[in-house]
Formats: sequence, C-alpha cells, structure tokens
Amino acid sequence: MASVLRNALKSIREKGIGNFVRGLREEGYLSALLDGNLMQTKIHNIGATLVGVDKIGNKYYEKLGDTQYGRHRWVEYAAKNRYNASQVPPEWHGWLHYITDHTGDELLLLKPKRYGIEHKENFSGEGDEYIYHSKGHTLNPGQRNWTRYQPWEPKKA
Amino acid sequence: MGLGQLASRALLRSSRLTTATRTSHFLRTIVSTPELHNSEVAAAQSQPEPDLPKRNPVGGARIHFPNPDDAIEVFVDGYPVKIPKGMTVLQACEIAGVDIPRFCYHSRLSIAGNCRMCLVEVEKSPKPVASCAMPALPGMKIKTDTPIAKKAREGVMEFLLMNHPLDCPICDQGGECDLQDQSMAFGSDRGRFTEMKRSVVDKNLGPLVKTVMTRCIQCTRCVRFATEVAGVQDLGILGRGSGEEIGTYVERLMASELSGNVIDICPVGALTSKPFAFKARNWELKGTESVDVTDAVGSNIRIDSRGPEVMRILPRLNEDINEEWISDKTRFFYDGLKRQRLNDPMIRGADGRFKTVSWRDALAVVAEVMHQAKPEEIVGVAGKLSDAESMMALKDFLNKMGSNNIWCEGNGPNPNADFRSGYIMNTTIGGLENADVFLLVGTQPRVEAAMVNARIKKTVRATNATVGYIGPAADFNYDHQHLGTGPQTLIELAEGRHPFWSALSNAKNPVIIVGAGIFERKDKDAIFSTVVAIAKNANAVRPGWNGLNVLLLNAAQAAALDLGLVPESNGSVESAKFLYLMGADDVNVEKVPDDAFVVYQGHHGDRSVYRANVILPSSAFTEKEGTFANTEGCAQTTVPAVPTVGDARDDWKIIRALSEVAGAQLPYDTLSAIRSRIRTVAPNLLHTDEREPATFSTSSLRPEIKEKMDMAPFETAVKNFYMTDSVTRASKIMAQCSALLLKK
Amino acid sequence: MASTLKYVRVPPNSANMEEARKRVFEFFKTACRSIPTIMDIYILDDVAKPSQLRSTVASEIRKNAHVTDPKVIDMLLIKATEELSNIVEHAKQRHHIIGQYVVGRQGLTQDLGIKDQGNSNFLNSFYSGNYF
Repeated sequence: MASVLRNALKSIREKGIGNFVRGLREEGYLSALLDGNLMQTKIHNIGATLVGVDKIGNKYYEKLGDTQYGRHRWVEYAAKNRYNASQVPPEWHGWLHYITDHTGDELLLLKPKRYGIEHKENFSGEGDEYIYHSKGHTLNPGQRNWTRYQPWEPKKA
Repeated sequence: MGLGQLASRALLRSSRLTTATRTSHFLRTIVSTPELHNSEVAAAQSQPEPDLPKRNPVGGARIHFPNPDDAIEVFVDGYPVKIPKGMTVLQACEIAGVDIPRFCYHSRLSIAGNCRMCLVEVEKSPKPVASCAMPALPGMKIKTDTPIAKKAREGVMEFLLMNHPLDCPICDQGGECDLQDQSMAFGSDRGRFTEMKRSVVDKNLGPLVKTVMTRCIQCTRCVRFATEVAGVQDLGILGRGSGEEIGTYVERLMASELSGNVIDICPVGALTSKPFAFKARNWELKGTESVDVTDAVGSNIRIDSRGPEVMRILPRLNEDINEEWISDKTRFFYDGLKRQRLNDPMIRGADGRFKTVSWRDALAVVAEVMHQAKPEEIVGVAGKLSDAESMMALKDFLNKMGSNNIWCEGNGPNPNADFRSGYIMNTTIGGLENADVFLLVGTQPRVEAAMVNARIKKTVRATNATVGYIGPAADFNYDHQHLGTGPQTLIELAEGRHPFWSALSNAKNPVIIVGAGIFERKDKDAIFSTVVAIAKNANAVRPGWNGLNVLLLNAAQAAALDLGLVPESNGSVESAKFLYLMGADDVNVEKVPDDAFVVYQGHHGDRSVYRANVILPSSAFTEKEGTFANTEGCAQTTVPAVPTVGDARDDWKIIRALSEVAGAQLPYDTLSAIRSRIRTVAPNLLHTDEREPATFSTSSLRPEIKEKMDMAPFETAVKNFYMTDSVTRASKIMAQCSALLLKK
Repeated sequence: MASTLKYVRVPPNSANMEEARKRVFEFFKTACRSIPTIMDIYILDDVAKPSQLRSTVASEIRKNAHVTDPKVIDMLLIKATEELSNIVEHAKQRHHIIGQYVVGRQGLTQDLGIKDQGNSNFLNSFYSGNYF
C-alpha cells in the first residue's frame, strides 16, 4: 500500500495535480469508488500481467499462480460506465473464455481481410437506430424495393 | 421425356423384376439380377405374353412411308411394328411406344452414338446394341425391358454419374435435367465409385451461355448443334478418355445468333443460361405459350414467368416456323421488358418537363388538340411491335377523324399492299427445304430473320443447294456466291447475262427472297418488277410452287399491310400538326415540325418519347392478347403472361377510350368485337396458327413500271442484330451481346 | 383517452325513447372527443379532417334512424361503444380505419360523378383499370 501511495505522489509531482486527477478519471479509479465491480477488477489487477489491449481499449489481464484456475483471465472494459460483455471483440473472446490460449492479437492476424466485418457491440435498448432490422422491416431505413420493373425517368430528357 | 412417365415405367418394370427375384435374393447388390449372366435364362424369362396391352407411339410419333415397298416389320418387346427401311432401332421403339433413354441422340442432329444410354437387347446379338445408331433390320426382335437391357442401362448410368458432380441443389438444370430424370428412372440406387471426381475448367462462351464443364457428360450435342444448325465451327472435343473436354480450343466466344439453343439441348447442367443463372427454379415458373415479336418470323415461344416478372423465354415446337430453335434475341431480350417502362400517362408542361397525370386528363388533352388540327394534318404511325387489333383500331379511329395518313413503320413511304403475295413469304419457311437454288436480293437473313436463315442453312446442308446473294458484304454461315451489291446485278440476271443465271434457270425449285429493306428505296417498284421478271424467266412462280418471297423485318408489318395501313400522301410527317405514334420509335423525329403535337403511346421510353407531348403507357406483348402475322402470313396470337406495369392499358383499349373522349366513338368494346371488324378487312388474320396462302397472282396484273432503277447499291437493313426495337434496345443483355459479339 | 372511455357504460336498459336518444347523443359526444386521439394514433392527418370523421360518426348513427325500439337502440349503442373503444385502444390498424371510415366519405376519393355520367361503361372501366 505504501508503494502505491509513493507511486501516486511521484506521478503527481511529475504531471501536476490536474493531470493526475484527469488520469485517475480516465483510468476509472473515480468511477470505481461507486462501482464495486470495477473496484474489484482494479484490486484484481494489482500484480496481474497485462496480456493485451484490443482496438477499443479493453485491457486483458492474466494472473497465474495464486489465482483459482478458471478465474485467472479477465477483462477491464475500456468503457468505465457502460460496459457489457458484448464489447469484447471476437478475437479476444476465445482467450477470455479459455477456448484457446492464443491471444486476440495473434488471432487478429487470421481474420479475413476481404469479407471480415468490424465487431459491433450489442446496442439493444439504446434506440432503434442502433438495432439491426432486416431488409423488409418497417424500421429499416433502406426499405427493399419490390417494384419488379424500372420505370422510365422523364428527367433525363 | 416426362419424369412421371419414366418413373411409372420404371416402377412397373422394377415391380415385375422384384417379384421374379425376391425368392432368390435378400439383399439387392449393384447387379440386381445375377441370373442374367446366363442369357438363356433371361431369354426364357422374357417370352412375350399372349395378350399384349395396347401401346401408343411416344409423343404421338407418326411414321411416313415414302415408299410402301420399303416397309419392314420388327418386333419390339413382342409387338410387331411396321416401319420404313432405314429407321434406327430407337425410332422403331418410339413408334412401338417404348421410350428409350438417351443423351446423345437428338432427332434434329446427326447420330453420334457415344453416350451408350440407349442400349437395348437384340435377339441373336452377342452384346446389347446402341439403338440410336443401329438401323432396324427386317424381323429384328428388339427387347427393351429385359434384365440385360436394364443392367446395361444401370452400368452406363453408373459410369456417367462417376464423374458427374453431386451439385444438383445448386445446378440451374435441377428439375429439368435429363440426367436427373433418367437416373431416377433407369439408374441404380447405389454406386461403387469412391475415388476423386474429375474436374474441368469452365469455358467462356460469351454473355449468354454459362458453362459448368465439370457437369458435362460429353454427349457432343452442342458440338453437333454448332456445326450443323448454327453453322459455326467454334465448339469441338479436346482430349481423350477422362481428359475429354468440350471447348473452343483457343479462347473465343461463341459467335452465333442461335447459341442459346445449346442450353436447351444440353441434357445436363453443363450449358445453362447466364442471364437466368440462379434466378428461379423451373417448377416455380408459369409457362405461357406465346409468339415472339422481335422479328418477322413469329417464332413460337413459351414465356416462363414468376409473379409479375418474365423470368425466361424458351422455344416451343412448331415445325413450320422455328422447329425447336429460337434466336438469341428472342431468348434473351426479356430483361428489356423490365427496364425503361412507361408506367403513367404524362403530359409535357410549358417548361418542357413531363408531369404525371391521370388517364382522364391525358385523354382530354389529346382529344382537344386533335380537334384543333385539320384532318389532313393528323398522322398516325404504328410501331414495329403493334398487334393487328390495335392497328385496326388506330386506322378506324383516324379515319373517323377524317385522316387517312396512317402506316406502319418499316413498310416504307409508299407500300404496295394490293397483292398479298407481293409482301409475304410465299414459299413458306418450311417450304424452303424443297428449294435447290436461293437468290437473296438485298437481304441478310442471318440478321434479319435468324430462323429463316437456319432453314436455309439446313437446306444447304441437306441438299447442297446453291445460294446467290446480292447486297452489301455480309456474314453467311453457309456457302454462298456474292453476285453483286446493287440493282446492276439484278438487271444482268433478268437479261440472263450473269453467270449465276445458269444455276437459277436450271433449278427445279428456285427461291428468290427479297429483303424488306428495299421498301425504303424510292425505286422499289422498279426493283420489284425486275425481280418479278427474273422469277418469271426462272419459272419460280408456277402452280404448285411459288418461289418469289419477301422477307419482312418486323412483327407488325404483314398485318399492317393486310389491314391496309397505307398512307395517303408521302412525307406526311413533315406537314403533320398532330402525330400519333403507336409504339413507333424509328420515325425520324427530326423531321416532325416543331409546332406539331406528338402523342406517344407505347411501353418503353425509347427514342420517340423525347419528342412526345403526351405519353400514354401501353402494355408490351407479354402483357396483352394480340394477333401478329409473320413474314409468311401466318397469323398467331400472343397471350398475356404477366400483368401490365403501373397504370398502363392495352393498346386497343387506349384508342377505343380516346375515340370516345374525342367524340368519334369506335363501335367495339371487346377484343372479339374488334376481331369481327378485322374479319371484314383481312379475314386471314383470324385464322390463327394456320397459314392462309396468298391468292395466286400473276405479274401481269401489276401495272407497268416506268421509272428507272437507281443504281445505288442495296443497304444493310438491320445494322445490329441484337437491338432492333424499343424492347431490345432497353435490354442490358442485348447491349452486352452487341458490345461483345459484334465488335469483331 | 382510454381513461375517459372507462366511464362510458351503457346501463342495461333505456326506459323510453327519450332516454335512448339522450344516450345516443352522449355516445356521439364521446366519439367526437376521441377523434383527435384517433387522428393521432392512426396518423390520419393526411387523409381526412376531423370534421369529416365527425360527419362519418353522425352518418353511421343516422343509418339507424329508423329504429324505434329503445332495446334495439341500446344494443346498437353497445356495439358502437365496443367499436369506438377498439379504435381508441389501437386494436385496429390504419388501413382498417381508412377503409371503413375514410374512403368513400369525401376523403381520399377522386371526383367521381358528374363528369363521368355521359360516359360509356367501357370508358368508366378503362379509367379504373386495365382488366375488365
């Protein structure tokens, strides 16, 4: 604990108090005061190894040794306020759920370039514009055109 | 060969077989009847039953005995059949009512005998024989459903399926595939093949035919079709054994106007339609038997539609017109029916922009303007695709308005409609097969009427008929002599000075075909009289043979001349104040005076709409019932296959409604009422599907022609085979074809 | 608006024509009050005006003007109340309302009538469609 305090004082001295507080907020230490989940993750992180960071900034930790097997990998979400499991991109999903030992950075190399699409988190409840609607759905902005012929356009005249 | 018929026969046979073998066999192996190895047993088994049920020939096959002495008798499954000498065993079986499975055999192509599917047992023959290539001999005892024949078929089918991919679910031929049907009916229920299947690189045959060559079973039907019917030497067999492939040797497109037919004759899914690929399954389609209107041949077609969409067009058998082929334009222009459609009545406002209006307003405007024009300033032009009913209505309507300036485009400024024999094909298309010398005057049948050209090609191939051609340099797919380019050669022929004259005068059945492109020439009467003189000298017109023909270009032409759509005065377009274009897109709109009011009634936004003041949308030929007379004068009707688009109406209904709004109501409310009106003008148009020959006319009835011939050479009538009318010009596939195949 | 309807109940019987008449008027008022809601939930602004819907309700009621039995009037009122509450509770869809209460009642219709009277049957059916 003393070393934590010493490090904190050291960085205040280096960066100044304003930058230090901003850094605390960005790292989620302030939200952690109210959010027990996040706080527990932060406590877990002490002494764990950072395995990787994905493209949206989620940090993946691993701690071997004195941790119970099956609880030795976890993620600290980049979003400190609205985090949910669908924010984990598919390349990290396997590592996080002990499906594979390859990290997401390794698996990302296998992702097909031509037709692979970007991961999107689940936006349920965030508003209609975020939700997937099939082509025939009334709320899909790109409604399917059922006209089977193409009419002549007089504008070209 | 219907699947149901095959299946029922197969069931019948297998039930007979299983009753015979069940006692000895528990498990059915690939050779279901081992006792067949002993052929005496098999022979003893298949003794003809004393009482044979009646059988009917396959597909209503009929036999014609050219010489009654040549009749021979053979026995098919114990049935005695009388057939003419020279028939094959397979044909004898068909007449006896037994459908033999086949892949390579096609009745309109030469015999190849390489698929071996048609093996049958013939008594006293050590091996099964390929029935398609074996001539029937007197007293031959043919057995088609013995265990040996069955085993032979199963074996052939197993070999065919060995290298055939199992991709029926993604194959466009699925559901109408001969291999699928026949393997269900005649194949074994299991195979012994465990190795890797062969695969073949796909060939690029152009924008129309899609190839999946791995599916090919090397029946060589397409190769034979290309050389024998289409007259192009592009396709051939490469390699031997399992390396055998159909291909073009050097990478090139199949440059033929009949190439689409290889899709129909391919028994498997190796050659399928590229525009139709993955669009529909054949069992979802509704077939409507109709007539093609893209040229003057009137090929019989089946329009396959799904819902409001035409999905594809297939040929329909008509021995007199198109046999079982159609041209590529007929087969693939259908996507033009879905593009550039006029769907609402429109009026051009003062600012030059079109505004969509209701029918009520559009007709009111047209009627009002029409009353302001003087009767002689009212001009009507019927388009290439007009049906006889609407042309009749248009003519009656304009006559009621006091004008007689109405004609059909393509017939020239001053058509001669007095003698029907002067503008139709008197020999008939089927009759061309009896000709021995052809003289083509200013016509290129290959682009003007591909099916007529196929008939000439067939005759040339069968009888070595001579073909002489007068006109601009052109592409022919059979041997021909290019005699000259203009009327000069005609004069030489008429005077007997030309070297071709000896061939023509010695001919038994000479045929002279004059192109309808000549209608546009000023000196057409002089040309026609010269041609008549040649025909007279060559004895081409005599009782029993009329070899003097005109090859028309458009579907509407013959009916228009029958109905007397002849303009009163020349150059009436230039002086018109009110111009009614019924689908006429080849009228020179530059010549129309600026103050003229132009009404365009049609289904496609093509050339003339841009000059129109009012647009009245009408239905295309797939959407209406109409009568069309083809170039030989045979009247045929189209049947609506799909609904009209948007707010369009049938052509004759528009004119009928307009006549009422204009206060000159036409006296017919139904199609049958119009037809009874047509009966009084041209009764031959009502005898549908039956050709009414022209009454015999001698050339002496024609007035003497004083004017001199213009020595300018003949011109090409059809510049681009693939784009001749508003529908084909709207089609993307046709645009692709003309870009790829005509560039040369 | 559904809350106001809760209080619209038709008691079992009307004793006489006077009472029945009063109830009919009450129903008409309720229906008129719910018209703004109906216009809103079925998005009818572009096809009809409130006054048109009001006259539609009135004409629906007048259809039964010949009924003199108070019991029958009560029954009709029950049916009308049911229909109204169905509409207000959005138990119907937009095309139901348009089809039953808007089309053919001065809304959405074109100027039929006077103009077409001299026309033949052919022309009238020509204007309405291609297939006849």
